[in-house]
Formats: sequence, structure tokens, C-alpha cells
Amino acid sequence: MSRIIGIDVGGTNTNAAFVQDGNLIAIASCPTNHQDLLSTTTTVLERIASNIPHPEEQSLRLHLSTTLTTNAIMEGRGEPAAVIITHGPGVNPTDLEFPFPSFPVAGAIDHRGRETEPLNAEEVRQTLQRIRRNGIRALAVVGKFSVRNPSHELEIEELVRHEFPEFNAVTLGHRLSGRLNFPRRVVTAFLNASIFRLQAEFASMVKGISGRYGIQDPIFLLKADGGTMYLPESLVRPLETVLSGPAASIMGALALGEYSESHTAITLDIGGTTTEIAVLVKGEPLGERDGAVIANYRTLVPAFFTRSVGLGGDSQIRWSDGSLQIGPEREGPPVALGGPCLTPTDAVIVLEDVPLGDVKKARVELERVGREAGLAAEELARRIIAAFCEKAVREIGLVLKYLNNIPVYTVSEVLAPRELKPEKLIGMGGPAGYFLPKIAAAMGIDYQVLPCAEAANAIGAAVSRPTVAINLRADTALGKLVVPELDLMEDIQRAMLFDVRKARRMALEKAADFAVRTGAYQEAPEIEIGDEEVFNVVRGFYTAGKIFSLKAQVRPGINRVKIPYAWVQYGKKE
Amino acid sequence: MKRAGKRLGLVFFPAFDWAISADHPEREERLLYTRDQIVEEGLLDLPGLVEFKPEIANEQDIQRAHICIPDVKSVCTKSHLVAAGGTITAAHKVMNREVDRAFALLRPPGHHAMRLVHGSRGFCTINNEAIIIEHLRHTYGTRMKIAVVDTDAHHADGSQDIYYNDPDVLHICLHQDGRTLYPGTGAVNELGGPGAYALTLNLPLPPQSGDSEMLYGLEQFVLPVLADFKPDIIINAAGQDNHYSDPLTNMNVTARGYARLTELLQPDIVVLEGGYSIEGALPYVNVGIILALAGLDYTTVQEPGPGPAEAPAAVKEAVRRNVGFLQEVWQRRRKIDLDEVFGPGPFYKRQRHIYYDTDEILEKQQEEIRRCEECSGYRVIISAAAKQRRAGKMVAAVIIPWHACKSCRKGAEEAFERLKREGQLELVYLQDVEKDCYNTVPSISV
Ligand SMILES: [Zn+2]
Ligand SMILES: [Zn+2]
Repeated sequence: MSRIIGIDVGGTNTNAAFVQDGNLIAIASCPTNHQDLLSTTTTVLERIASNIPHPEEQSLRLHLSTTLTTNAIMEGRGEPAAVIITHGPGVNPTDLEFPFPSFPVAGAIDHRGRETEPLNAEEVRQTLQRIRRNGIRALAVVGKFSVRNPSHELEIEELVRHEFPEFNAVTLGHRLSGRLNFPRRVVTAFLNASIFRLQAEFASMVKGISGRYGIQDPIFLLKADGGTMYLPESLVRPLETVLSGPAASIMGALALGEYSESHTAITLDIGGTTTEIAVLVKGEPLGERDGAVIANYRTLVPAFFTRSVGLGGDSQIRWSDGSLQIGPEREGPPVALGGPCLTPTDAVIVLEDVPLGDVKKARVELERVGREAGLAAEELARRIIAAFCEKAVREIGLVLKYLNNIPVYTVSEVLAPRELKPEKLIGMGGPAGYFLPKIAAAMGIDYQVLPCAEAANAIGAAVSRPTVAINLRADTALGKLVVPELDLMEDIQRAMLFDVRKARRMALEKAADFAVRTGAYQEAPEIEIGDEEVFNVVRGFYTAGKIFSLKAQVRPGINRVKIPYAWVQYGKKE
Repeated sequence: MKRAGKRLGLVFFPAFDWAISADHPEREERLLYTRDQIVEEGLLDLPGLVEFKPEIANEQDIQRAHICIPDVKSVCTKSHLVAAGGTITAAHKVMNREVDRAFALLRPPGHHAMRLVHGSRGFCTINNEAIIIEHLRHTYGTRMKIAVVDTDAHHADGSQDIYYNDPDVLHICLHQDGRTLYPGTGAVNELGGPGAYALTLNLPLPPQSGDSEMLYGLEQFVLPVLADFKPDIIINAAGQDNHYSDPLTNMNVTARGYARLTELLQPDIVVLEGGYSIEGALPYVNVGIILALAGLDYTTVQEPGPGPAEAPAAVKEAVRRNVGFLQEVWQRRRKIDLDEVFGPGPFYKRQRHIYYDTDEILEKQQEEIRRCEECSGYRVIISAAAKQRRAGKMVAAVIIPWHACKSCRKGAEEAFERLKREGQLELVYLQDVEKDCYNTVPSISV
């Protein structure tokens, strides 16, 4: 029997959902106290536990999504950290303009993973002394092409371990992602190092919860890619927990949505300030091409593709130069709820006579702005709603245009364009019930307003499963095999016999080991091969070998959740 | 990362699933390490750099630049259409000012493809530069003045052939001396046809020429000529086989040399041509070119290992001599007596043998260009191609140039009618770029 509590600590509210064998049994919520995430978590846990039948009988799993690391990064509250970089030839490291201290040292690896310049241990020592003198204790080490050959990063780690034990934990770039992109790797490693201590404190507090309410270890944390990670593993790669909220919301949409596996759909999470747009292709969420972007930091953290638009129920409405402006700012709550300026929610309240806040106040403000615009209050309200929907449609169009124009590098992909044409809108968030049907009508497609949308994130958290990925690169011409995530570098024996089947088999084995070792799974899960590339290496008119690059991964699971009949509130189909 | 000083468009299309043959230099692997280097450097995240997906060129795009024998479909693969389309994309993005400059970093290359195309030569089938030039003239103004500066190690005999008699296109080519390298042409005295004399300019560089020789040619010769010609658009056909590690050539240019060249030339559109040192040169040269185009520092781009030696004094002397000769040609270009160069008759005639190394075709061409005071003159080409020593049939092509005068247009149309009735010709083509009209007819015996 699977009994899981999913908790999403959101910006305003914290929600919990209890899912047992695919059935939603209970939900609960409480306001989020950002100063004390632990007590927030405990409060909501207490509330949901009181609704769970026989909590003592069987063990419960806890899946937790928090804003802890996201907020720490957004608010610049990470620990001061420094990055030692071996940049080799290429872009001038001063032009990388990292907004944190980075220290270039000698040492270079080329695109095939060959050392082209050795490290200078003395220079590394002096650099570490400088960093230490600055009082920095969080350290990351990143090399250009370290995912092709991590030996320089590993050597520096060894040196730190033996001679500079005061650096509490060293983040090595190659372990965080097998993908190329040195600047992103540096940023990713820096952020990881800077939130390490925070995550460690949080993890030890959360560990204290286990045992209460029948929650047993393991506790899992949500990640930006819609998967989970085992709590102790979050100490190695805390950065993967950023942006888990939006990911949980998409997982919630997958669990609650009605769509088929052939569907291309758009999910819209319409909130007070923003609308989050995500895209499902064949029933699966699209990922970011390179990695999550958070507070202008471009990282290599695997994440769902989402675009945030400054458009929500509380967006500020202005009438200027004969036209309506909606957002992107939010000045406060709607006028009806005591806010300072007109919002789309006010327009809905007046037009639909919704019993929310002070309808009279909203009407007075509509009339005032209406006079400016030369429109009656109702007409202005209608225009506001139309403008809201237009903007949403336009933004969805931009997202699709972007996705349809992502460059591809083979003739066959160029010739077989898979143009994304959404067939359905799946909406959640307070204003979705009102706006979604209108947006869908404007796009001429079907829609669904999610039931239990307020708890979608928590439900998404509950149904997520651990995700794991490793990248294997085998270069038989050089006789080298690397799996950066595992610190694995080995010589290929009998390179002539190494073929794509062998590469796949090894990648699957390594990923399975990794999944078990990091506590993601107790036994080897089902793993898929993706992003496979095979190139012949030809030198002097004969084939010298092959280069295999492939990824082995456990992708986010998609688990539907059944909800009690009484909770279902479907959007009316037009 | 620092913002690019210039907004740069990148159309990157490595055609990872296309090769001339498995172990050919034009194979899947060619831009693999370049892709790795560009991605690892984070250049696709560079603020101010936008990557664009290539469009696919259509038959008309090709016909504006080429006469494909027997037709476009038979000589072009899909990969050629994507590479040509990607170059068009790059040009569009510059012309509609989405970006300041654009780099079409794609393959297969094109600068050995001539106006008549029987197949593939020098790894090229269709000429990407010519396809964008014609596209630009059709889209943005037929009187556009365009300069192509070809910096591939091989003489751009294809581009030279297409623009040999076109007064609106200046074609300057820097390359390894043809006496030492394929295709053998590109001497200083190849200066174009009677309608565009001295707008074809070739600076051959002796083997072992390096950064200083190439940059000397650029600064002393190319840049002053460009300043006089005042083109609306500068296209750099950026082959990278002048690199000291290139396996097919004998030159000594470095990645930084290429970057400096790009910085000085300030091209609007850069199109990759050759370059076959796929590990030791291309990753670094391309990063250098991208940085230089974006207006960022490229001095930290350096190939691993020891660099090339300085060129011997005799090489430097030969470059100075060639530059001096060309400077004089350029100065005197309007005073040269064309009758002395092309003969006094109403038609200038030439005969050529053109070898298609890639497809093993030997073509014999006879060409006539009408000497005209009003326009650059219509052309008639009779071409016979023997494929793998089997004699092919003869075809004829009549070419009406841009801005043809009435009498040339009439003469061309009459020539077309006459050739259609000539029995020994298999096909007769009429290329009329201005009317955007391309006819092919089988010739009828009377
Ligand atoms: Zn070349
Ligand atoms: Zn004429």
C-alpha cells in the first residue's frame, strides 16, 4: 500500500495532500511563515494527519516541496561562496562577469577531454589561501570541459580535503550535470555551494519530523524537473530543489488533468500576480533546453519549461493613451478587497456579481476609471476581461513560437518539423475558473479547470517519484569512458568491440547503481536512454573509432489521482 | 556574461546526419567539436546573441543563382537546401535589423559551385553566398551593391564565376596560391569580365603565409577597396582552412588571426565555407569569429600546443608584390582599355575546362558575353559534361543579367529561340533573374 503526504510550502499558503493508492483522501492548508518553514510544515502536517484514517497503522512517506532554496537565492541570502575555475582557452574569463567571486587558475581540458595544460598545485594553494583570507568557507571548483574529464576538479578537491579542511564542502561542477556549458556550470556550482549550509540545517530539522505521525524515513524533496530526491542526497545537490513549486504544480496538473497521451496541452497557473505557462507534449511536460533560470542565474538544473507572465487576478489596470494596460505589476489586492487600484478580479466581481469583498467599492473604482476612458462601468469591465484573455492568448502564442523555432542540428529534424498545436488548456489558480473558458474559446480549443486546484501543488508533490539522470560518453578513438555524475573515468577495454549496445547497457547499469546509491530507489528502477549521439571519428581517411554520448534517466512518473466525487468541479464546456 | 557590443544572429546547422561519404572531409563529424566548444563556452547564452533555426531554400532561390543540370532536384540534397536556407535566414535577420550581424555557421559549403551546376565540385554543390545575394536583390532592392570577401584557403572559383561579369557585386578572394592548391585558379590577373572589370579581385598568398600576411592583404588592399566601392552589404565567405593545422592546405593562420580579420572587416553576414582541421582549428576559429562579431575580447582564444612559425621573408615579399599589383589595378580600373583586354569584337568569347573533383565530371564550356555600353551584356554558354569519362550530352544556357538593356534582352531571347532548334543540344536554359523567370526546354531538331 502506498500512503504519501505531499506538502507544498508556497509563497502565501502551505498545502498538504494525502494520497493513498492513487486516491486523494484529504487535503489541508495553513498560511506560510517564511521565517519558520519548519513550524509551517509541522502545522500543515498536524492538520492533515488529523484527517488521515489510522495514521499509526502503516508507514507514511513524506514528499516535501519548499521555497527554501528558491527564496534564499532570490533574496541573495546564500552563504558567501567562491569558485575556482580552470577556464583554458576561449572566452575571456573576465567577460563572464559572474556576480560572485571567481578565481581563474591554470589548467585546461579540451573538447575531447584531453588535458592540454596541467594544474599548478602551488597556484591553487595560493588561491585557496586568498579565498580563506576573505573569510569565505563555501567553495566550488569548476573546469571548462570537466564533464569530459573531471580530473582537475578532483585533484583540487583532494588538495582542499588534505590542506584546507576549513572549507566545509566543496561543490564540483561535473557532478551536478553532465551537460556542456561552462558558464552555467560555474553558476550552478556557485549557487549549490552557497545554499549548502542552509539546506543542511533544513534537512536536519526535517529529519526530526520523521517518526511523528507515522512518517518514516525516507523523506523526499521535490525538484525542478518534477521528480523527487532522497533527503540526504539533497546535501550533495541542494540546488536541484529550486523551483520545485512550479514543478509540483505541473505534476499536479498531470495527476488531475483529463488529457490523452497523444495530447499537446497548455497548462496555465493563473495566480494573483503572474500566470505560469507550461506545455505538455504527448501528455508529458517539456523541459528547459539547458536548465532552470532563477533570479537571472542561468543554471544547468534540469527543470520543466515554464514561462512566467506578469498577468494575474490582481494585475494593475491603467487607462493610458486610449488603451487599457494590464500588468505586469501588481500593486496590491483588488479594490474590492481593500487594494489600491483596479484589477481584473474587480471587473469579474462587478460583472458576475461575485460575492467577494466589497462589490460596491469595485464598482465605484470601475466607474471612476470608466469616466477617464469614456466608458460605462460594465463596458470597461468587459473590456478588461477581453484584454486579459487577449494578453493570455498572445503570451501563449509567443511561447509556442519560441518552442517551434528552437534550432535543431540534423537534416531530418529540420525536414520533419513537429509544430506544436495545443488541443487543450488545463487551468488552475483562483482566477482560472472564470478566465480559462474565455481564453480557450479565443483559441478555439478545449479546456479543463482542475478540480482541487488549490491543492494541486501538494497533490503533485505526493505523486512524484525520484528522477535520476547520468550522462555517459565513450570515445573509443581515445579509449576513454566518462560518467561525470559518478566521478567515473575509465579506459575502454577492447575498444573495437565497444558498440552502441554496449554503451546503452553500461549507461543503464550506471544509472541504476546511481539510483540505488543515492537512495532514490531501493531496487533498480526502469531506466530510459535518451539524447543518444553516435559519431564516427575519421582520421586520415580511415575510421579511428566512435564517440557515443547518451543519457540514461528515470523520468518524472505520471500518476493519475482519483478525487472524491464531491470535490469535482469541472469547468463547463462551451 | 558580458553583453555583446553588436547584436549577433547565429544560424548554426552542423547537419549531423549528412556526409558526402562516410570518410569524406565533409562528414557528420565536421562541426561536432565546434558545437561542443560553442556550447561549452556558453555562447548560446551570450546576451545579444540569438540563435535562429534555418529555413529551407526553395527551387526558385536556387534558380536565381544557378542553372542546375538537368534540374535542381537532381543535383541538390535536402542538406543543401537547409544550408542555403540557413544563409538566407541569416541575411534576413540582418536586413530587417533583428540583429546587427549574422553568422551562418553551417554546412555543406558552396563557394566552388559555379553558375552551371552539373554536380558537386570541391565539396560544393550550390553556392550559398550567391543564393543570398540573389535573394537580397529580389527582396531588398535590385540596385544593391554587395561585396563578398572570401577568406577560404581555396580560390572561390564558383563565386567568381557567378559574379565575374556583374557590376553590382565586388568579389575579393584571399587564398593559398592556386599553383599549389585546388582548384588552381585565382591568379592576380583574373579580374572579371567586360561588364565588371576589376570587380573580381584575387590575392593569392604563398604557402606558409600566416596572420600577418593575411592581415597585411586585408589592411593594405581589401579595406581600401571596400572603402571605395561602398557596398550596402559585406558578406564574408569564411572558410577556415587557412589554419596552420588544416590537413588539406599549407597555410599558417591562427584562430586569433581569423578573429582579428573579422574584427577589421566588420562583415554584415559571415558564411562558413571550408575548414577541415575539425578538432584543432574549427572549435577555436569559430569561437574567435563569434566573439569578434559580437564585439567581445577574443585574445584569450588560443589553440592548444605550439603555434605556427613566422612566414619566411620570400613569402612576405611575394605578398607585398601581389598587393602592390592589385592596388595599382584598382587605382587604374577606370582607365584600362577594355578592348585591349577583351578584344574589340561585339562578343567576348572564352573556352574553359571545369573539373568536378567530388563527382568526377569534366565539363567543357564555351562562353560568349556581349560587349555592351548600356549594360553588362547577355551571355550564352554551351556546356558539355562527361561524367566518369562517359561523354554527356551538350546543353546551352542563355543568361540575361540584372538591368539588361533592351537590345541585350532582345539578343538573348533570339539566342534562346535559335538554340532551341539546334539538334545536338539536349537542353536549353534561359535564366532571367530580373523577371524571375527560368525556362528549360529540350532542343528540337528541325
Ligand atoms: Zn577551402
Ligand atoms: Zn546591353
